[in-house]
Amino acid sequence: MAERHELDAAERLERYLDPLIAGGRPAPEDTPDPADADVARLAAELSAATDPSRGEPDDAFLEQLRRRMRQADEGIAAVVVPPPIRAEAAARHEATAPQTPGAPSPAGSRRWSISRRQLLQAGLGAAAGLAAGALGASAIRPPDASDETGGWESEGGLVAGEGFWAEIATVEQVPPGSAVRFETAAFSGFVVNDGGEIRALSSVCPHMGCTLHFRPDWHDLRCPCHGASFDLEGRLANGRRRWRERGEYPGDARAYPVELPPLVRPRTRVEDGRVYVWTAQA
Amino acid sequence: MGRQHDPNRSAAVVTAEARSGGATFEAIYDRHAVGIYRFIYARVGNRPDAEDLTAQVFMRAVEQLDTARDAGQIAAWLYRVAQNAIADYWRAFYRIPMVAADDWAPRWDPADTGSQQAPASPDGDHATRRVEALLRRLPDHYRRVLELRFLQRLSVAETASRMGISPGNAKVLQYRALRKAALLAEGAADG
Repeated sequence: MAERHELDAAERLERYLDPLIAGGRPAPEDTPDPADADVARLAAELSAATDPSRGEPDDAFLEQLRRRMRQADEGIAAVVVPPPIRAEAAARHEATAPQTPGAPSPAGSRRWSISRRQLLQAGLGAAAGLAAGALGASAIRPPDASDETGGWESEGGLVAGEGFWAEIATVEQVPPGSAVRFETAAFSGFVVNDGGEIRALSSVCPHMGCTLHFRPDWHDLRCPCHGASFDLEGRLANGRRRWRERGEYPGDARAYPVELPPLVRPRTRVEDGRVYVWTAQA
Repeated sequence: MGRQHDPNRSAAVVTAEARSGGATFEAIYDRHAVGIYRFIYARVGNRPDAEDLTAQVFMRAVEQLDTARDAGQIAAWLYRVAQNAIADYWRAFYRIPMVAADDWAPRWDPADTGSQQAPASPDGDHATRRVEALLRRLPDHYRRVLELRFLQRLSVAETASRMGISPGNAKVLQYRALRKAALLAEGAADG
């Protein structure tokens, strides 16, 4: 009855349908023939429509994502390179932001709001990692050479106490190709030496929040939970997009199927042979 | 005006939340997480991918969303990002082209910002009706195989034995049935 190619297509479709109907994620290699893309989409939609129970999000998932968002938000606050914030700006902000009487905002939320808005207005919102990365490139240099931090850190009480430079390691402890894991009260990360350039990266996988492991052989940070790998600039190293563009990533047998944002990169500075990372006040 | 919020009022609320600082994201999340998840689930059909894409949308929101926008803009932004994430998913994960218009899939009106927390899933109800209509238009044996597999969630072997055919034939039958359904769905979207 059926032609050979139809049998093959039917077989491929079944390999896709089987996990889908069981409620799981179809494996990327089991995708139907590209000519049957519409069939695959229809099957996915049929599967959703005929099992509405799974259409309701899992409470644990929602809570976990909420925590991740909160952490990421704090991460952004921590790595923000605050533009000079002056008392007048703060006063203006106050004037246009009526507060509910009797409902004092939690300490720090006003600062958070300002720096976030300014971050977005400055067009730096695309990723805190990018904002930090711009500085990361010139991380190794003597501080205080009319450094912008010198200006805003000492200026005005508004941002004072928002963050501080935490001493993480000596330069000798981070030779090229190595990494040091660190925790501050607000931030978990690595200080890595990427071919002479020292920078800090979050150690939290942006997928589900697992703690990444440094793998010196592959110069990457690897997630033990689902196998995402990040290069030492914090970008997903084994994503499908990168596989397509640059070929296989040597550290992995297969491409990581989900697009992930880059790791947060807080500011780093090296001074007198010591490595400091800018971290939020807990 | 039923469950629909007054858009002006919603906007004012969100702006006030935005200005008060830390609660903002959580408020946006509380308002939209379930709706965004349902929206995505209805299109990818499995929980792990729906969770990943939902997380992608909200993690992007943390990085990029200007929380001082009004409620309608925030909802539109979130659903647009979700739509793009789904398109990328089909493109990258399955290496297949994604048509720009969301032709068959149940539609969600991003402007309908008030009802994302609606008790029943409008997406789901809508989709279920469409599936029923679609199945009704299929020849009997096509409808039967899809009912057994999708509605009753039977394996190919079980489906085959219910229908008195070989598993190999059941696979071909379900393939033909889905192809036919995809054609019909496309026609329905055009017409």
